[in-house]
Amino acid sequence: MAELTDVQNQTLRDEIEEFLERPEEIERFVELFTRAKPLLQEIAAAIVEGDDDVVDELTARALAEGIEAIEIMDDGLIGGMGIVGIKFRENFVFVPEVLSCARAMRAGMAHIEPILSASGVEKQGTVIMGTVKGDLHDIGKNLCIMMLRGSGFDVIDLGVDVAEDTFIDAVEDSGAKVLGMSALLTTTMPNMGRTIEAFIDADIRDDVLIMVGGAPVTQEFSDDMGADGYGADALSCVAVAKELFAAA
Amino acid sequence: MSMTSRERVLAALNGQAVDRTPICCPTSVATVELMDLVDAPFPDANRQAEPMARLAATAHTILGFDTVMPVFSIIQESSALGCKMQWEGKDNWPTVRMAEPIWEHADDIYVPNDLVDHPDTKCVLDAIKLLREDLGPDVAIIGKTMGPWSLAYHCFGVEKFLLLSLDDPAATKEILEKLKKVTIDFGRAQIEAGVDALTLPDHATGDLVSSEYYHRYLKDLHIEFAQAIPCPLILHICGRTVDRMGFIAETGMAAFHYDSKNGADESMDVVAGRIALVGNINNPETLFAKTPDDVKAEVYANLDAGVQMIGPECAIPLQTSIANLRAIPEAVQDWHARH
Repeated sequence: MAELTDVQNQTLRDEIEEFLERPEEIERFVELFTRAKPLLQEIAAAIVEGDDDVVDELTARALAEGIEAIEIMDDGLIGGMGIVGIKFRENFVFVPEVLSCARAMRAGMAHIEPILSASGVEKQGTVIMGTVKGDLHDIGKNLCIMMLRGSGFDVIDLGVDVAEDTFIDAVEDSGAKVLGMSALLTTTMPNMGRTIEAFIDADIRDDVLIMVGGAPVTQEFSDDMGADGYGADALSCVAVAKELFAAA
Repeated sequence: MSMTSRERVLAALNGQAVDRTPICCPTSVATVELMDLVDAPFPDANRQAEPMARLAATAHTILGFDTVMPVFSIIQESSALGCKMQWEGKDNWPTVRMAEPIWEHADDIYVPNDLVDHPDTKCVLDAIKLLREDLGPDVAIIGKTMGPWSLAYHCFGVEKFLLLSLDDPAATKEILEKLKKVTIDFGRAQIEAGVDALTLPDHATGDLVSSEYYHRYLKDLHIEFAQAIPCPLILHICGRTVDRMGFIAETGMAAFHYDSKNGADESMDVVAGRIALVGNINNPETLFAKTPDDVKAEVYANLDAGVQMIGPECAIPLQTSIANLRAIPEAVQDWHARH
């Protein structure tokens, strides 16, 4: 089993040592970054530091050196965002810092996405995402979408202030098996339940699995309204989507 | 000795003894049911003084709260500043289209001297005067003036402003410094119109930013507001805030309106009598979706902890039932009868 000292990059070693507490997560990231090429470790470290210029430059260099786009994404970009997600979950960093890291990840993905699209890599599935009616907040939803896309899902982004009928039409038109709804306000959270009821009324509730999230949303609220999954943050969103696809 | 609602609220805000714990709503208890009862639906009740006052009065006349609040939303000043608005209909909250921000840099900020004469701010001032006429001197009228952090979300966009706060702290402070005029001008105008206290929402919540951010960017501004706006101020921040309540308690504001994500006992311990607390009945799970007995249980927990004023944690969902809202004053009366 790899040890922390096996991780070559000093920044990543420090991050793991200082911010990761769960043994399974320490093991996973030590293993990942021990295996990752030094340049990809540098990319992951730049993601954690939110340095978009460095990520931009290093991603271009990695591709020029012949490293596969999928490897750069998995070991560098997603690997770095994985650490960021844990730090956010544990309140070591907050939304401005996460947005900065996401900006860095987008700088890397700008190089990677066109290559992956052209290569025709098979996607994990299609997820429809949207913020519910009456709510115009989209930071959390957009972070989820970025992580879902980075994890190999196709995402149909319906944007904000999405009416029940729009969610229903998107599911019927696309045949997507998983739908994600976001809300930031306690005043708009009930619109998640209304949307689920609209799917029941339209007799298509069984056609789609529904996950929910957003700062005020809880597992209890999710269960009460009849959602199939709840994610507290963007990392959880990816895990829930994978579980739902496995169950679909 | 029995106090009037207004006396009770002002006493609690000033840290004085009360005959019973006041029932307050520093944000909004407007619901669709109440709109129907007094024929004051959204969006009219957000933009016209008469329906605004009629709907606000129901907090006292129908629900039995000690306070009324004519500003149901958080967007009146933003509309007056020129933000793109979505006023919505009866069953949805009005909101600012934050994806279409009006300003990009601190230099773009323009706060007109006659901001309070804009129809969407003036209607609030007129509604306050109508409420005082209709309800007389015995009911506490609370107004609302938005803090510069929340205004910046509206005017610059949430994501852009939060990134700026990390990339350029000096520019961020300049924005907040320029926007504080809105908070002070609208607050003072509402005092002149007749409010007894003001809610000051400034959403530096733990769901978005750290307590260090609150200390760095807002604490001094909030101290300045407490000195510059001559009435009791109730700071409102949603979400997790217990990590910054120690700073908030040092601002000189009269009260902090706190969310159910923070335990009543822990919050009381942190503020340690330096600021009164108002709250924190859960909205989406309890008030919206559970029963009056569940609401009462949360009221009792707050009273047992010594929370000085009881009310919903934030603006309630518009479909919340009157029965659940009435359970708040009922529970306060029950508790005091037993203590």
